[in-house]
Amino acid sequence: MDKPVISIRGLRKSYGTVSVLKGIDLEIRKGEVVVIIGPSGSGKSTILRCMNAMEDMTDGDIFYEGQSLREMKKYADLRMHVGMVFQHFNLFPHMTVLENIMYAPVKVRKEPKAEVYERSIQLLRKVGLEEKKDVYPAMLSGGQQQRIAIARALCMKPDVMLFDEPTSALDPEMVGEVLEVMKNLAQSGMTMVIVTHEMRFAAEVADRVIFIDEGVILAEGTPDQILIHPENPRIRTFLKNKL
Amino acid sequence: MSSLIQVLAKYRSLLLNGTEITLIISVITIVFGMIFGSLMALMKMCRIPPLRWFADVYVAFIRGTPVLVQIFLIFYGLPIMGIHIPAIVVGGNDISRIVSGSIALVINSTAYICEIVRAGIQSIDRGQREAAQALGMSDTRVLWAIILPQAMRNIIPALGNEFITVIKTSSQVSVIGIAELMYTANTIRGISFKPIEPLVIVALIYFLITFVVSLILSAVERRMRRSVR
Ligand SMILES: Nc1ncnc2c1ncn2[C@@H]1O[C@H](COP(=O)(O)OP(=O)(O)OP(=O)(O)O)[C@@H](O)[C@H]1O
Ligand SMILES: [Mg+2]
Repeated sequence: MDKPVISIRGLRKSYGTVSVLKGIDLEIRKGEVVVIIGPSGSGKSTILRCMNAMEDMTDGDIFYEGQSLREMKKYADLRMHVGMVFQHFNLFPHMTVLENIMYAPVKVRKEPKAEVYERSIQLLRKVGLEEKKDVYPAMLSGGQQQRIAIARALCMKPDVMLFDEPTSALDPEMVGEVLEVMKNLAQSGMTMVIVTHEMRFAAEVADRVIFIDEGVILAEGTPDQILIHPENPRIRTFLKNKL
Repeated sequence: MSSLIQVLAKYRSLLLNGTEITLIISVITIVFGMIFGSLMALMKMCRIPPLRWFADVYVAFIRGTPVLVQIFLIFYGLPIMGIHIPAIVVGGNDISRIVSGSIALVINSTAYICEIVRAGIQSIDRGQREAAQALGMSDTRVLWAIILPQAMRNIIPALGNEFITVIKTSSQVSVIGIAELMYTANTIRGISFKPIEPLVIVALIYFLITFVVSLILSAVERRMRRSVR
């Protein structure tokens, strides 16, 4: 754990008059796995989406490797360093699995195709879906699609990976296979920010857990402090409802 | 039946010429309608308010007025606005009238194609754009590589309907003296003193054209469905 990759300073976000984030300060250090939990509508997705500039900030700033997001003219570079995995996978249905994975590295970052191919195959092997490389996403189960989506994001060789409820849209029997891939990724030293409702998984992988409610960070600490022996009554109620 | 064949045989070259003009006008309308309709759809969705307003007003106006009125407005309006299309006659056809009629039809179908393209693009899940952006793709690349290929699948059936509508609507330009099929039918009725037969013949020709077009379109649709899931 050393210097911060992402620092969020006084981040506020409003939609019209509705204030969604009310002053968030958060640092993500290299190699750290940070899990964000909180009730529905508390602003978890919004924080993630601000981190790769998918939402603009109302106030405050975010720094990626010390660079202010407000001063960036284009976000393409940032987004190549900060991968994102979505609740609904969002694979491109008109491309095969391999095309989904290879498109951005080859076309956006202009890497040699052969190199990207090698890397894609390795990643597919890592998520256990090498034999699916030539099929279309519609032929895959939700769990398989999400594993491909993770491989797609990883193929950009990101420094940080953001996960927004990656298992929430999955049938229960498929949750495990996706969490397994994420656990391996965490063990390999990837910097990760994960929004999830899987508390057991959170306790297992997190270096730090953030509890957010109504746009503010109510508590942060180790999984033990937040998930296992929480002091804050709001968190206790929240966790009780989860079980 | 025999009188149908008689008329067909006697006025074969008139009918052929009419069919040709109908086809030419329809193709012009479809090609330019697709170009301008797509541009108009992008305008309707763009971030610059005046462009959006223009597209909104344009589409509302064109869809809210009869095509017949639009054809006359262009035919009489262009010269008033100082735009004169030289009256070149090629093989008995007044090119200036064909140009004027085609402009009116393009203006008309642009509005409809705009709506088709816009609906097709907006039917694509927001997550597709987000996933593409999150991979560092530029807005243009997102549109061309991710959104449009998927939108095409939704657009093609509606676009096919529009093609067929255009072919039928082209009969309306007969009112400004373009010798397309409908006009030809009236001409033949006048000179042959047969009121029904020419109409039956052009009806069959229109049907033949639209039928072939719809066959081609459903083949394209089938192919799209196979390659794109
Ligand atoms: N584009 C938008 N326009 C207006 N309000 C929005 C928009 N996006 C999000 N919100 C609101 O912002 C609040 C926070 O949304 P956010 O998606 O960040 O919550 P969340 O913590 O991720 O919730 P969930 O667990 O349901 O995913 C919600 O009340 C939501 O209704
Ligand atoms: Mg959310």
